[in-house]
Amino acid sequence: MDVLKERRDLLRNRLTKPTRLQQEARIGLLFLSPWLVGFVLLKALPILAALVFSLTDFHMLAPNETRFVGLENYIRFFSDLEARASLFGSLRYFLWTVPLEMVVALALAAIFTSDRLKNKRMSQTLIFMTSIIPATSIFFIFLGSLAYANRLIFAPLNLPPIEENNLLLVLMALWSIGPGFLIMYSAMKSIPNEMYEAARVDGAGPFARFMYIRLPLISPAIFFTLVINLTGAFGGAVLLDRGYILNFSLSPMESYINNMMFLETDLGYASALAWVTFGVMMTLTIFLFWSAKRWVYFPEEHKDEEI
Amino acid sequence: MKKSEGGQGHSRLTLRLWDFTGTALLNLFMVLFLVVYLSPLPFMVIASLTPRNQFLDGNAPILPSERVKFNYEGKALIVYEVPTEDGIKHWALYKPSRKSSEFIDPDNPQAGPILWQGAWRTLKADYRFKPTLDNFKDFLGVARMSLYFKNTIIVALISEIGVLFSSIAVAYGFSRFRIPGINYIFFLLIATIMIPSNITLVPTYYLYSGHMLNWIGTWLPLIVPHFFGSAILIFLLRQNFKSIPRDLDEAAMLDGAGPLRILISVILPQSIPVVTTVALLHFFYIWNETRMSSLYLGIAPHLQLVSFAVQRNQTYFFTPEALMVGALMVMVIPVIVLFLSQRFFMQDMIVTQIEK
Repeated sequence: MDVLKERRDLLRNRLTKPTRLQQEARIGLLFLSPWLVGFVLLKALPILAALVFSLTDFHMLAPNETRFVGLENYIRFFSDLEARASLFGSLRYFLWTVPLEMVVALALAAIFTSDRLKNKRMSQTLIFMTSIIPATSIFFIFLGSLAYANRLIFAPLNLPPIEENNLLLVLMALWSIGPGFLIMYSAMKSIPNEMYEAARVDGAGPFARFMYIRLPLISPAIFFTLVINLTGAFGGAVLLDRGYILNFSLSPMESYINNMMFLETDLGYASALAWVTFGVMMTLTIFLFWSAKRWVYFPEEHKDEEI
Repeated sequence: MKKSEGGQGHSRLTLRLWDFTGTALLNLFMVLFLVVYLSPLPFMVIASLTPRNQFLDGNAPILPSERVKFNYEGKALIVYEVPTEDGIKHWALYKPSRKSSEFIDPDNPQAGPILWQGAWRTLKADYRFKPTLDNFKDFLGVARMSLYFKNTIIVALISEIGVLFSSIAVAYGFSRFRIPGINYIFFLLIATIMIPSNITLVPTYYLYSGHMLNWIGTWLPLIVPHFFGSAILIFLLRQNFKSIPRDLDEAAMLDGAGPLRILISVILPQSIPVVTTVALLHFFYIWNETRMSSLYLGIAPHLQLVSFAVQRNQTYFFTPEALMVGALMVMVIPVIVLFLSQRFFMQDMIVTQIEK
């Protein structure tokens, strides 16, 4: 009987008085609450609402006449040449610019680790500076510089004048390497010197040290940079958002969806298009995270640290 | 033995020479890279100081200049390079005509007009280096820059308070508390970074529109969402908070400090660089903001933020010098802020263990 009573008291205590762990979880959740509320209100519900909208013929101007149309909007996407071209445009932009950004940022980061480089902070700030220039400015700079570039470089060399969009593409991509460069550079700086020394003693040359020690150790930073560049290519929340220029977004799909929304006011179809982009984006992301297991080195964490 | 010493000295010298060449080449490469990388920026300054009519003349020099003029009988005549039998002369055009024109020699005006056979329109005008500030005056006359700057700074400051409060609190929650399933919640946070903004655009636009909240034409849609924290900033803060040793927390806890006290007096003082970085990232975000301000402030021009306002202004005048002035005006403040804060900004951004 005593044992039973003891058990009952213990159970009652556990039910009424929160344990230390429960209390800690409660306080923690209290701290998380601003983001959790924002997530539900501004992300989860709108995404679901967009899914519902995408199944209707919801028009901005006549919200009361909305009907359920099933998958009609998605079927329309498959016969809409312009929409498909925009989606492929976004993908092509991603395929062109992201590798360029990654390679240049990584090479610069590797050069910056050398002790021989002078005035590092100044160069670093100058490289980063271009990443905070608003899209408005970049677009104007590019339009204005085009005449100069053609006159000073391309005309004397008898080359054809450069095509507008390609130059903008390269300029925009190279001018946004700042965050990726700094993240990879910081990661390289944090590698302890003993690692290199050990490898040097074992007879590894500079190239081997770079390939087999530095790259694997900074792979989390490379992965993070890849993720933010991918996100940027599809108009997600990147580290430094540039904004976009009138109807001229760097992501063609994004501009197409905006046209659907504000020129055609066809919110149902715009939502369907957004969901298609979302699906493509999520597929790419899942693929990236799946591949990360093969090439990203995650340091082992202790269980108690892994909160 | 002496010989080998000499040999060693020689090799040391070669080594030092190699070292020096390597250093020189590396630094030269960096300088060249920066020159090419930043090359559009000098063009921006040059074009913004160039008078408008210089762009209409294909033979005009690159640098901002004005035409050389000569005063003759109370008229300012334009000086041209005129090819004659005695070589090229710098003469002022007096009476233009299609097949032959009369010129005045500025060195010898008493001699009177000289008749020259040929089409004067093919001649190159003389230019003298002279930058002008007229483009800036024109621009400031049209664009209400002080209003746009004021609006942007107000929106940036108010939303900055919100985003810092929430993001710091949430990052603290993610870094210090044992909550069941926290790894899944954190994964969700990372996932929201990657959500394309246009998936939430239609429903949130509907939410802010006259059908529900009626916030269009106010700053609220640009400010209120930041009070729920920003996923990417939370991520950066959390990475940093996790790298602070827990011994200090525990010591403070033994002294009777509560969680909020620990955050304020233990964690934050050690996180000044990352908090500065996050604050600046948000400032740049608001400065570059065009998506939201085009959507929600389109009907309220007096509330408009700088990037979109200038974009809209300048696209009416698509001339090179007007564009460059606009570009310069929009980017000058963020660039100054970056240079003032370079000691703190984005230094040691360690992002490891992203999946966890």
